[in-house]
Amino acid sequence: MSTTELPRKETNVLKGHEGAVLAARFNGDGNYCLSCGKDRTIRLWNPHRGIHVKTYKSHGREVRDVHVSPDNSKLISCGGDRQIFYWDVATGRVIRKFRGHDSEVNAVKFNEYASVVVSAGYDQSLRAWDCRSHSTEPIQIIDSFADSVMSVCLTKTEIIGGSVDGTVRTFDIRIGREISDDLGQPVNCISMSNDGNCILASCLDSTLRLLDRSTGELLQEYKGHTCKSYKLDCCLTNTDAHVAGGSEDGFIYFWDLVDASVVSRFRAHSSVVNAVCFPLSLLFDGTQKKS
Amino acid sequence: MDSDEEDYVFYGTPIEREEGITSRKKKAVAEASGQLRTLPSWKQEVRDEEGRRRFHGAFTGGYSAGYFNSVGSKEGWTPQSFVSSRKSRAEVRQQSIFNFLDEDEKAELDGQSLGTSSQFDTFGFTAAQLALKQAEKEQKQRPSAIPGPIPDEIILPATVSIGVKLLLKMGWRRGRSIKDSHADSLYNARREARKAFLAFSSDDASAQAAPSESIQGDLENYIEQPANDDVRSSQGTHVYTLTPKQDLHGLGFDPYKNAPEFRERKRSRISGNRDPEYRKAPSMKNNLFGFKSGKVAPGFGIGALEELDAEDEDVFASDYDFEETYVQEIDEPSTKLTVDSKRKLITNEQGVLPGFRIASKADYQPERFDPPLVPKDFEPHHKFPGPLETDFRVADAGPPEVSPPVDSNLRLLIDGVATLVARCGKLFEDLSREKNQSNPLFSFLRGGNGHDYYTRKLWEARLKRADQNKYQLDEKVSPSMQKLTAESRGHILGERPLERSFKDASSSVASSDSVHLQYNLSDTFTKPKSLSGLPEVEKPFNDDPAKQERFELFLKEKYQGGLRTTQFSGASHMSEAARACERLDFEAAAETIEKGKEGKESKMPAQHITDYLATGAMQFTSGGLQKAEDPHAEDSITKKLYPKREEYQWRPSPILCKRFDLIDPYMGKPPPAPRTRSKIDTLIFTPDSIKTKNIEETVTENRDSFATPQSDTQGKSKDVADKELEVEVEVENVERPVDLYKAIFSDDSDVEEDTTSNLNKAEHPEKKAEAANTALSRLMAGDFLESLGKELGLEVPPEPPYLKNKSVASTSEKEVNENSRYDKIQSIEDNHGIPYNQDMSQDGRHKKNELIHGTASKHGSIHSEIGSSENKNDLVNLEKNPQEDRKDKMRHRRLSSSLSSEDERSRRHSRRRRHRSSDSDSDSSSGGRHHSRSKSKRKKNSREKSTSSGTRHSKHHDRRSRDSPSRSRHGSAKEHTKAKREKH
Repeated sequence: MSTTELPRKETNVLKGHEGAVLAARFNGDGNYCLSCGKDRTIRLWNPHRGIHVKTYKSHGREVRDVHVSPDNSKLISCGGDRQIFYWDVATGRVIRKFRGHDSEVNAVKFNEYASVVVSAGYDQSLRAWDCRSHSTEPIQIIDSFADSVMSVCLTKTEIIGGSVDGTVRTFDIRIGREISDDLGQPVNCISMSNDGNCILASCLDSTLRLLDRSTGELLQEYKGHTCKSYKLDCCLTNTDAHVAGGSEDGFIYFWDLVDASVVSRFRAHSSVVNAVCFPLSLLFDGTQKKS
Repeated sequence: MDSDEEDYVFYGTPIEREEGITSRKKKAVAEASGQLRTLPSWKQEVRDEEGRRRFHGAFTGGYSAGYFNSVGSKEGWTPQSFVSSRKSRAEVRQQSIFNFLDEDEKAELDGQSLGTSSQFDTFGFTAAQLALKQAEKEQKQRPSAIPGPIPDEIILPATVSIGVKLLLKMGWRRGRSIKDSHADSLYNARREARKAFLAFSSDDASAQAAPSESIQGDLENYIEQPANDDVRSSQGTHVYTLTPKQDLHGLGFDPYKNAPEFRERKRSRISGNRDPEYRKAPSMKNNLFGFKSGKVAPGFGIGALEELDAEDEDVFASDYDFEETYVQEIDEPSTKLTVDSKRKLITNEQGVLPGFRIASKADYQPERFDPPLVPKDFEPHHKFPGPLETDFRVADAGPPEVSPPVDSNLRLLIDGVATLVARCGKLFEDLSREKNQSNPLFSFLRGGNGHDYYTRKLWEARLKRADQNKYQLDEKVSPSMQKLTAESRGHILGERPLERSFKDASSSVASSDSVHLQYNLSDTFTKPKSLSGLPEVEKPFNDDPAKQERFELFLKEKYQGGLRTTQFSGASHMSEAARACERLDFEAAAETIEKGKEGKESKMPAQHITDYLATGAMQFTSGGLQKAEDPHAEDSITKKLYPKREEYQWRPSPILCKRFDLIDPYMGKPPPAPRTRSKIDTLIFTPDSIKTKNIEETVTENRDSFATPQSDTQGKSKDVADKELEVEVEVENVERPVDLYKAIFSDDSDVEEDTTSNLNKAEHPEKKAEAANTALSRLMAGDFLESLGKELGLEVPPEPPYLKNKSVASTSEKEVNENSRYDKIQSIEDNHGIPYNQDMSQDGRHKKNELIHGTASKHGSIHSEIGSSENKNDLVNLEKNPQEDRKDKMRHRRLSSSLSSEDERSRRHSRRRRHRSSDSDSDSSSGGRHHSRSKSKRKKNSREKSTSSGTRHSKHHDRRSRDSPSRSRHGSAKEHTKAKREKH
């Protein structure tokens, strides 16, 4: 994806949420997207045609994150009601509820086989839940963080969490080690590069930081946007050529991965851009849309 | 008849008579004749050749029917002793093949086991095994001091192998090497003597000619290589030394067969060669072990020191025997020195084969080259063509100051080269000039662009260095010969010399050395920068001379490097914090100055520096606490610090690994230790359990307090009736904690429900709050509560309220002992919100007044007894107030007659009472209503219990916060007085 191919205008506006949209995620093949927000609902969209497909309601408070299983059959969502909901996509029913977080749950992710869900909570912990058994108890609690865990990423063998205590911690299941990279700034959101070698961490000092995962080196810093108080998403484009991130002033920024220059920048929203998510081919920004 | 037979001599075999044949034999014979075959199968019996019944023969080949063609006997395979009854269950008897074997077969089997006979048991393995078996047997018989089976690994019976036995017989003792240490020491002593003697006599050894020379010649044609004697016997181990065949004779051929005296000769030579020390110095050896000329007849190879050599050897290492007697000639040392050393040397050097002689004229001449001729003017020390110029004179007038070239790169280059040249001497300049002949960048070396600037820079750098070295050079006494000492190294590294050793002026380094070292070390160590005298601009603390002084000191410290003096941070009157602040200031100032310097040399234009410094100075003088670091510097620091990587151990749960389809890295390892909870955690989570215990305890206490008087006053007939009620009581017992929760937690609902207000009601929540408070405070230490209170932002009384309760109680204790006890009870009772006083008053009405006294004095004792039956309570109680408990136990000694039935009764009784009392507590008129309500509340409470502990916790704190110290004091005092009133 060259610079010219970077999205500049919105393809569709998906209206329906009442209140802020807190997260937007594409499914595996990029044909559908999910959004969740303060109106306690999760909505399934076809972004290409701009059609609202389904609404999932069960959360008692705002929904902070949602994730689709790789086979598109299940959803996992979490929110301010301290619960994690495991949904069946087709029927829209809650299959299981995972309770156990002591406070709000910030992020949630499926693992590769959709057998485990890992959630990151304000209670300074990561919790792993088993989707296969009927137990609603977490199978693992990782509470080495010193502050609220904002974001979680999973690889085949690792659990990576970014926390407000400024650390990005990688928990390698294979070797049983915890690797903590202290960035010195509260980490808002982390996202993996597509090749899995780097971690992009959005810090609250209005900087995106690119870390080399194997050595923990700081590879690059991306600045120019504003990110001081909101949880703003960041991600890499599908080719790993650019870094995308939202800004509190409503802009979406694109940086060149290597030289950290702002390649593109456009105003997408009138207020904070909460979520940016790249599907296979096109950009979608989940934002604060007020219908 | 027998006597008759004795007299006769019989020949031949007598014919056996019918009667003489045993029935057994007869049968065997019959069998042999095939008589028995006619019998029906079940009557047939199998006999062995001796006529005994035997098995069917399937084991030994062939088959013959046993009992009904099945087994050998009627019983068949029935277990021999099957006993089964209720009391003694059948033991499982271990059957082995020996159970089914005849004696002779057993004997046969026994003989088949293989083992080393003790005669050949070199290492004692078999002996050890036998001893082990023996020990086991013995152990079974005698009662062992250590109960239970002792593992074999621990206790092994001592055995002695045959080898050890032999050695012992030979005089060897355990713990010693096989070589006799005594002999060793003797040997050492003698060797010393020999050495001394050699030193004495080696001078004239060559002068002595040996007449025996000619005779030796033939003898020594035999090749004899030194035998390997490195394998000295080490401490206590057997060493088996192989003596390789080293001569060229055929196997079994003994060249000395007819001339045994030569064997002796050879032996001496071998052993002579063996000694490594003498091998090294062959001439000496030859002196020693050569033949003696005078006394010994030529041809007899008896070494003078044979005996010593024998000691040298391992006893087992040599296959030579020691039977021969040697001539002892140690007392005549002069005879030993009669050997032609030259001759010996030749034979040793060239291993001439027997039957060959050394050619007088060799064909082969190794080519030899003459060593290269050293030129006459060669000096074995390298001298640099250029002068090192360390003793550069400062006084020299430097070249005029030149403005740096425009090209910053060039300027940097020039600077760098100048410093290097100053450091390493002119040589470096020459070298670089040669190297970079074609490089236009280095044209300044050859007088091109920037040459002036270079010279100036070089001069400056040299000046700097000269300053640095001057001191050093002054101290040099003999520069080239001195070795590098710690102090001189410290100098080179820029460390401050220690005061004590300062006077040692001789410590110094050769100038070239120092330069070299400095050059090498400059990479690894920070060089002391010579800040000789700060310019006026660089005095940021001008307005405060004292501070400026300290700053200068600080700078000196900083740039001189090395050990810091303790008396830094000058003013001793300053506080730690102030000192730290000042230190920060200084650091910042120094940094700015540094930067300013850098700027002067490289980046900033001159006027900017002063500007910068001025602002810096302003900053330093005005704001003491402000750091003058610019944001960029900070940024770079953070960049350096972060990201920081750390690694810890982390244990994924097995199921997580399973779900991730990975192998658990901690598989098979023990689970990690449970995490220790912090203080706060324990506070939050433990109260529920402890509290229930606490409450239970108080309840039992209550009950007990009334149990004793009852038992005293009422007849024992009641006990029977009470026992019937036991079951019911126990059921109630289970519910009790739930019920009691109400007392602590339901005051809110109480308040809501009790709309009918009376005097009691106003007091009620207060009391409950207090109850909760005491319950909580009993759990924790006072100081901890305080800290918690601070954490929660509550106002914390200087002294925890429960302490006051106690203190009040203790003061009252002085007046009336019963009352104090009473108070305590009350405080306990408050846990579940039952006002003891009213309770008492009611009971007091029913019972006699003295009862109270009895209760007060006795309740503890009974409680302690209950405690023994209900361990939990006891435990808790012990934790809570051990003192009281101790007292109670003392009383309990006197009152040990109380029985468990009494307990039960008392429990029941108090239960009854409890309801009543709770009624009376809240509202004496609405007893029935309350009762039902309490039941409903019980349910509620059970629900409440299931809610998270967090809410409960917070409730506690609410109560705590509401409970001001003054009130608690009041409350207890009030209650106290009330109790008094009611008693009378």
